[in-house]
Amino acid sequence: MDVVTGHVGYILGGFLVTVELTLLGYVGALLLGTVLAVFRVGPITPLRIVGAAYVEFFRNIPLLTFLILFVFGLPDVGLTFSLFLSSAVCLAMTGAAYVCESVRSGINAVPVGQAEAARAIGLSFSKVLRLVVLPQAFRTMVPPLVNVFIGMALGSSIAAAVGVAELTNRTQQLNLEYAQAVVTFLVAGAFYVAMAFLGAGGGRWLERRLGARR
Amino acid sequence: MSSTVLRRGGPAVAAAALVSVALAACGSSGSTPQPPGAGAGSGGSSYDSIITGGPKADASAISASSWAQAVQKQGYLRRGGTDTGPLFSLKDPATGRVTGFDAGLSQMLAHYITGRTDVPNLEKLTITTVDTRETLLQNGTVDAVFATYTITPARAQKVDFAGPYYESGDAIMVKKDNSTITSVDDLHGKKVATESNSTAALALKQKVPDAQVTLFQTDEECQAAVQQGRVDAYVLDQGILVSDASTNKQVKVVGQPFTQEPYGIGLPKDQGGAKQFVNDFLKKIYSDGSWAKLWKATIGTIVSGNPPTPPTIGSAPGS
Repeated sequence: MDVVTGHVGYILGGFLVTVELTLLGYVGALLLGTVLAVFRVGPITPLRIVGAAYVEFFRNIPLLTFLILFVFGLPDVGLTFSLFLSSAVCLAMTGAAYVCESVRSGINAVPVGQAEAARAIGLSFSKVLRLVVLPQAFRTMVPPLVNVFIGMALGSSIAAAVGVAELTNRTQQLNLEYAQAVVTFLVAGAFYVAMAFLGAGGGRWLERRLGARR
Repeated sequence: MSSTVLRRGGPAVAAAALVSVALAACGSSGSTPQPPGAGAGSGGSSYDSIITGGPKADASAISASSWAQAVQKQGYLRRGGTDTGPLFSLKDPATGRVTGFDAGLSQMLAHYITGRTDVPNLEKLTITTVDTRETLLQNGTVDAVFATYTITPARAQKVDFAGPYYESGDAIMVKKDNSTITSVDDLHGKKVATESNSTAALALKQKVPDAQVTLFQTDEECQAAVQQGRVDAYVLDQGILVSDASTNKQVKVVGQPFTQEPYGIGLPKDQGGAKQFVNDFLKKIYSDGSWAKLWKATIGTIVSGNPPTPPTIGSAPGS
């Protein structure tokens, strides 16, 4: 246990990096994913194709593979980003594919009559989405979006593979020195569980709030 | 992990890094091309004859160790190690055989105990990482760990170390055109890469605490980071860096080793006289020349000169 108590600051620092990675990635994924979902449900065919192609690509390539390509491939064409930024961007881009599908399924869950009624009173496509469909769709999106959040929080550990000093990476560094894998990974695991738990709690809170307004 | 294919730089390095990481991620099935010149150690008859030419244990020595008796009974050694370590323990994808200095010693030990001569079946490899080595020894998944396993007092609290059987040291790799870094003292404040499962990270922390250390998982990634200017230098075992630089013309190795890395054989703690038994084995292969022959056939294919004098058993703190 000394290995943990003697390095509280070091471990917490790693957890902070993990939280930063997760939040940056998640916010990025929410923004990009929503735009993509709008592409996919919209009436413009080229945009629908772009949205579908994006999802099919990023949902089907392992995050680690994409991250290694991003980190070690891009410098060959003259683009070098910091390891942290690379990891956050990769997380966001992969997460966006999942967010897109969650949002799309939420939109599809709104009865088509709602959109038809909105169109009938003369609202444009963007107003139909913004004022009528999305607010209702958001309720059904919460659980899958919480899933995406948890997936990204746990998936952020992949950044350890490219040298970002986040929680998993620092756990590995501690092991190197103290050979206490079981204890250190238990602690790291507890942090991940806590983060996922908080995410799920936030999701439940949102659901309750949104449900009350129904 | 070295091959001419991955040394051309550019996209090839990234692709190779990708492949190796992808494979590492799948677990034990990693297959990595052979280092140049390692053909002699890739499982040919000369390599096999070095293994089977090693000593055999007396019945009395085996009966004195319950650990050795158990290995003899199962007929092979359950080794913890890697199959992606150039020179030390590398799998030949063509034959599926794992060979190298660590692999060879393990096979030699298995031959010493069992007397069997079918070299490919002398050991069963379980892939270990820095995070799992001690635990796999403690819970009895493996009989011994041969994995460029540096003996440290912290590790010796959990497992026993026989040896040291090899002494190495960390050196520095930089880009070919770099003239500012020539020794470890030039690394202050610099960005330095190393492998995440090496002890070089610890050595750096002690010698140049103000260096910014980045840990990558594989040798290829560290090299790519140097070539692409992501880091200023890459620190790892000199033998591995020299073998890398022998095929990658964009990098060079500078300075002399600045650490001492005594490699030991990890054994379960206080169990069945294992440590005494394996140390006796090491003494035998030191004196009958088997150790030197194996060195010549593996590490000696990259490092020129005669085999060094083997380190003294028990000379490292923790052994």
